[in-house]
Amino acid sequence: MKGLFSKGSKSNGAATAPSTTAAPVKKELTPQISPLEKRLQDMGSIRDDGSDKFFGMENYGNTCYCNSILQCLYYSVPFREAVINYPQRTPLDSLEAALATNLRYQNPNAHLEAEALAAKQKASSPPSARQAGVPPNQPQKPEDKDSPEYKKKVALQTLPILETKNNATSYGMSESLFTSLKDIFESVVGSQSRIGVIRPQQFLDVLRREHEMFRTAMHQDAHEFLNLLLNEVVANVETEATKQAFSEKALPPTESADSLGMLTPSTGSKSPNTTRWVHELFEGTLTSETKCLTCEKVSQRDEVFLDLSVDLEQHSSVTSCLRKFSAEEMLCERNKFHCDNCGGLQEAEKRMKIKRLPRVLALHLKRFKYTEDLQRLQKLFHRVVYPYHLRLFNTTDDAEDPDRLYELYAVVVHIGGGPYHGHYVAIIKTEDRGWLLFDDELVEPVDKNYVRNFFGDRPGLACAYVLFYQETTMEAVMREQAQEDLASATGTAEAGEAKQNGSPLSPPLAHVQSAGQVPSHDTPFSPINRIPTAPQLSTHQEAPEHETPPLSIQSPVQPVQPPLPPIPDEPTPSLSPKKSDFQLRREKAKGEKEREKERRAAEKEKDKNEKLRQKEQDQHNREMQKREADELEKALKASKLDMNDLGAENGSPRKSGFGFLRRGSRSISQRLNKEKEPRLSTSDISVTAPVPEPVPEAPEVPRKEVPRKDVPRKSESLQSPMSPMSAMSPKDIPLSNKQPLRGPDPLTKDHNVSHEKTGSTHRWRSFSFKKNVNSVS
Amino acid sequence: MFVLPPPPPRYTIPVAYAAGAANGMAVPVVETNNTITHPEKGCPLQVGEAVLLGAQSWLTSDIVLGTYTLQDDLLLATPPPHPSEAPIVNPNPLATVPLPPTCGVKLSLVSLDPRKKPPTFLNSAITAPQFGDGNSALAAPPVPAKDALKRRKPKNNIIKSSSSFVSRVITHETSAKRLSDRDPNGVFAFANINRAFQWLDLSSPTKEEHLTKVLFTKAHMLCHDINELTKTSSHLDIVMGSSAGDIIWYEPMSQKYARINKNGVINNSPVTHIKWLPGSENLFIASHANGVLVVYDKEKEDALFTPEPSNPSDKENGRLPLEILKSVNSKNQKTNPLSYWKLANQKISSFSFSPDQRHLAVVLEDGSLRLMDYLKEEVLDIFRSYYGGLICVCWSPDGKYIVTGGQDDLLTIWSFPERKIVARCQGHNSWVSSVAFDPWRCDQKTYRIGSVGDDCRLLLWDFSVGMLHRPRAHHQASTRKRTSIVAPGSQTSNRHRADSAGNRMRSDSNGTEHLNGEIDQTASHPVEPRSRTALLPPIMSKIVGEDPICWLGFQKDCIMTSSLEGHIRTWHRPSDSVVKS
Repeated sequence: MKGLFSKGSKSNGAATAPSTTAAPVKKELTPQISPLEKRLQDMGSIRDDGSDKFFGMENYGNTCYCNSILQCLYYSVPFREAVINYPQRTPLDSLEAALATNLRYQNPNAHLEAEALAAKQKASSPPSARQAGVPPNQPQKPEDKDSPEYKKKVALQTLPILETKNNATSYGMSESLFTSLKDIFESVVGSQSRIGVIRPQQFLDVLRREHEMFRTAMHQDAHEFLNLLLNEVVANVETEATKQAFSEKALPPTESADSLGMLTPSTGSKSPNTTRWVHELFEGTLTSETKCLTCEKVSQRDEVFLDLSVDLEQHSSVTSCLRKFSAEEMLCERNKFHCDNCGGLQEAEKRMKIKRLPRVLALHLKRFKYTEDLQRLQKLFHRVVYPYHLRLFNTTDDAEDPDRLYELYAVVVHIGGGPYHGHYVAIIKTEDRGWLLFDDELVEPVDKNYVRNFFGDRPGLACAYVLFYQETTMEAVMREQAQEDLASATGTAEAGEAKQNGSPLSPPLAHVQSAGQVPSHDTPFSPINRIPTAPQLSTHQEAPEHETPPLSIQSPVQPVQPPLPPIPDEPTPSLSPKKSDFQLRREKAKGEKEREKERRAAEKEKDKNEKLRQKEQDQHNREMQKREADELEKALKASKLDMNDLGAENGSPRKSGFGFLRRGSRSISQRLNKEKEPRLSTSDISVTAPVPEPVPEAPEVPRKEVPRKDVPRKSESLQSPMSPMSAMSPKDIPLSNKQPLRGPDPLTKDHNVSHEKTGSTHRWRSFSFKKNVNSVS
Repeated sequence: MFVLPPPPPRYTIPVAYAAGAANGMAVPVVETNNTITHPEKGCPLQVGEAVLLGAQSWLTSDIVLGTYTLQDDLLLATPPPHPSEAPIVNPNPLATVPLPPTCGVKLSLVSLDPRKKPPTFLNSAITAPQFGDGNSALAAPPVPAKDALKRRKPKNNIIKSSSSFVSRVITHETSAKRLSDRDPNGVFAFANINRAFQWLDLSSPTKEEHLTKVLFTKAHMLCHDINELTKTSSHLDIVMGSSAGDIIWYEPMSQKYARINKNGVINNSPVTHIKWLPGSENLFIASHANGVLVVYDKEKEDALFTPEPSNPSDKENGRLPLEILKSVNSKNQKTNPLSYWKLANQKISSFSFSPDQRHLAVVLEDGSLRLMDYLKEEVLDIFRSYYGGLICVCWSPDGKYIVTGGQDDLLTIWSFPERKIVARCQGHNSWVSSVAFDPWRCDQKTYRIGSVGDDCRLLLWDFSVGMLHRPRAHHQASTRKRTSIVAPGSQTSNRHRADSAGNRMRSDSNGTEHLNGEIDQTASHPVEPRSRTALLPPIMSKIVGEDPICWLGFQKDCIMTSSLEGHIRTWHRPSDSVVKS
């Protein structure tokens, strides 16, 4: 339906054709101040903590998952500080020297000139196929000055471009995902410009070198990427620390550790304090309490988590989802609990509570759910409301600070109808410039209530997917509210109106109404598929004549809304073309998932039993039996596995000198993937490693240089029928048709190989709780 | 996937549908009629009801299982968009253009039957003075006795109105006959849905057919209230507040209306809640979305509002919890507003008058509950939600307790005389949108509370002070000193504040006498930790619809709810447990 609309309006725009685009170019050759710049006025001198930098990020074709997460992490203040300061901060002068070459200022009028040129060319040449989704026979639409695409293009052409270069050696580390993240953060912090566009090419190169999963230009899951990134950072940091510990064994922990200031006493890990900063921020501890209903004995087991994945229900709240997460679960029938005390399988009650609250609570809303009847992952458009502040109800009795107050500071929004395509953006509360929308290259200020547009019930397929809450205090909250009051006292126009966007009450309809009266406007803009992303900040409240019409009717001549044109191609979901093949894969995915479930459950049980072993001999015997059974099962499974997987193992990415460590950590991080059950991860993986095709091309994917840019172009012909997303940026159009080209995923292999390694002490997983899977009879 | 219907011929602009759909509402094609369904199996609510056995005591009563049976489900028709309304089409989900306003359907009920009045629990007669009593500028001109019986009506006829604010008025063809034939003690209901405002006769056999439907052009009515003091069989005073800030005073029997705060001349932010001042024929309070409470007089003309400089002595105290931009004591009372108080820049979600008509409980989007002595224009206490904004508030019939509901999915019970939190009630799965006491199920010791929320649920709670589960003792010991603060720097300051608030509370807890004394400063209470607060479970929780429920009301013989999309549901009370009142 949405595709239908955008197509309609596209052709709409086409009706009003090219003449208009050329005209305004001459008029407005002076660059206009953007909404972001407006909000950044009176910032004073450049700060050295990076809190006053607002950079967009270039999208290299479906890399919005990466961009949105990187932005969220950058504005996670303690995380940014830790990244910058670990192992030590690069001296500013050397940073500046590096930046001198990396930061490229552009002609602020570049886009206008380019546009004029393009307009001239357009008259003669046939429309380029750049506009994916537009059938080639349709005349190309003129560009909508308020469309995000246009704004992104302008941003890329006019704003300072920041290339990041590998600077790892100056940190005394080998190049890794962490060092390239640090490269990005440091360059942004050191930049003399407050706004610009980062090209995270180097970061992506490293990511793709290390993780085959990200080598294609396919849509990736943002939450999965967040988890992988955090795990990688931990692993990279710890690897380096161990390396140093080896070389300078006698030396005490480095000084920089203390200078970090944020490190609290070690929580008992063996790794040096200095490397604990990711743990200190994102890590929390879950206790699963199991109460045997026969002997009433309560047994506990602790697990650490980096984020929480919660199941969703229609018409619920995040609070309720978290409560459900911790709700009591009966272990009975096939799921009986092996009680240590009474020695046997017993009915039991189990619940998961939070024992140690993280400082940053990353909440993953499980919007992608496997549905049996459709045989695939489906996106849930449940209305799940999230408040600006949060406390956790599901804490243990002995939890420290159980009433900790959290504030929402970042939301990753997924836009799209399904898990395999779409677009990610981030909406982030910055330290002192309010909420901003980060949509790849585009950074725009938004109203606080804008954050509430993504509960999931609005048309447009945009839903909050990952929520970042950080700890705060009541004092801080009240101070902020007082400031909002103060701002309103001084600020004139905004009154209460700006607040109305997301709340049930919206601004007076009078304004909506007045949008119909086409005001005379300097910049004509045409109605196209997208409309300004930025709120009209102060215009809202003003009298109608001030108002920028949200409904962008561009010239009086233009027919308001011609009827919808016939839809050229049916808006089938992108994955449909090879139906049988697809279903086959699905089935396989499902099968694999089920096996995985079993295996995981078995594994868990085994872990548990391992602990109990010393106590009871008969139990030990049982355990041995179980293990045998497991091994049998594993062997069976292994025999079923594709040869691909083995091949992939051999061709798995380069390992650093400390490959064994790295691998361990990855397998840990993979654990999450497979534990996040009917979610993207598993099935994604299984989709990308299709059963029937032996994939010889895989190892040929160049390890270092991936021709990112070419990818979208190649697949253009395939892209056109994917409808619901055609309003998205062309870069983000689903590329899943390409998947047969993909190589087997080393991760898939890791799933099957790595589980032996995962100890019960160090589980780096995003914690998703699936009933009836956690234990097995 | 959203599938929109094909554009009908009437609206050449397909965007109209997008606008309607943007609210998540069914998109109307043409003006349709309300429908009523009588669910076969119904949606029974099973509740343990206390049957009082002579002695008015909880302990001696029997609890029987009562079943509230769903009588009917009246679906209000959502009107189609106004043809001149240029709705926004915006396929961009990231667009920040404003969406058409809605707050769901709310009902105002009125009955002339004295037997249907809720029981009162006040020990003494209401002695509260009139608002603005001391101000001679507000002294009402003497009214001739003859006119006193004849209520003054608004000036303009709404049917013949040429105002661009009112689109049209649809009266039922037999409305005159229906009005004359009806049971004079029946219940009228007034309901807002989208841009329509409907007048229904709930005692009529054809209650789904409206008596009058007013369609507005631009604005959506968000809240409304009927004056209990002036109601007669031939006169009802209704005020309603709109999304544009405009307020309408409407008299349905004569179809007359008047506009107040026309074009937002006094305050142009949406009206979130509106109530007649208890005991006043002419005055009402409206809360606006920009954190302002305004007292209007229906009889007074509008004038451009210029803040009157407040007392310099007030300013000494720094930022006050209440900024009096116009006091009721101002000598300038020729025009509206009577008084104008700025509480915050946060949206005021709702407010409620105490039964003794002296106090006002106001809840805001910033999560605060503010108790006001509105007669003196003072804020007495500020409480905070556990987290998130507060949405709804009400007083117990005896004025001892205040219940709030909010974005923490909790109902919170506060003691008014003790000025402290009593219990948190956990049971909703989403935000709580409306809360009400059931005065027919309350007595001196026990209280029945009902609540509805975005989780489409209706919950009932029984609350009595003696029955509260206190949190376990060792929790108290271990967490007594712990607050929500973790940063070491602010710990001390917070504790200090908490202590001072504690002292404050102690001094307050002597009773209500202090209310008459001097209050120099507002008491701001810290959030009580979970381990020190009693937790109350619901006695009943039921999903009653498929869309968020936004209003709840108790009547002598029934419970009523209304939902976002216009479902008005009525449950009959169990017949076997009639409680004398």
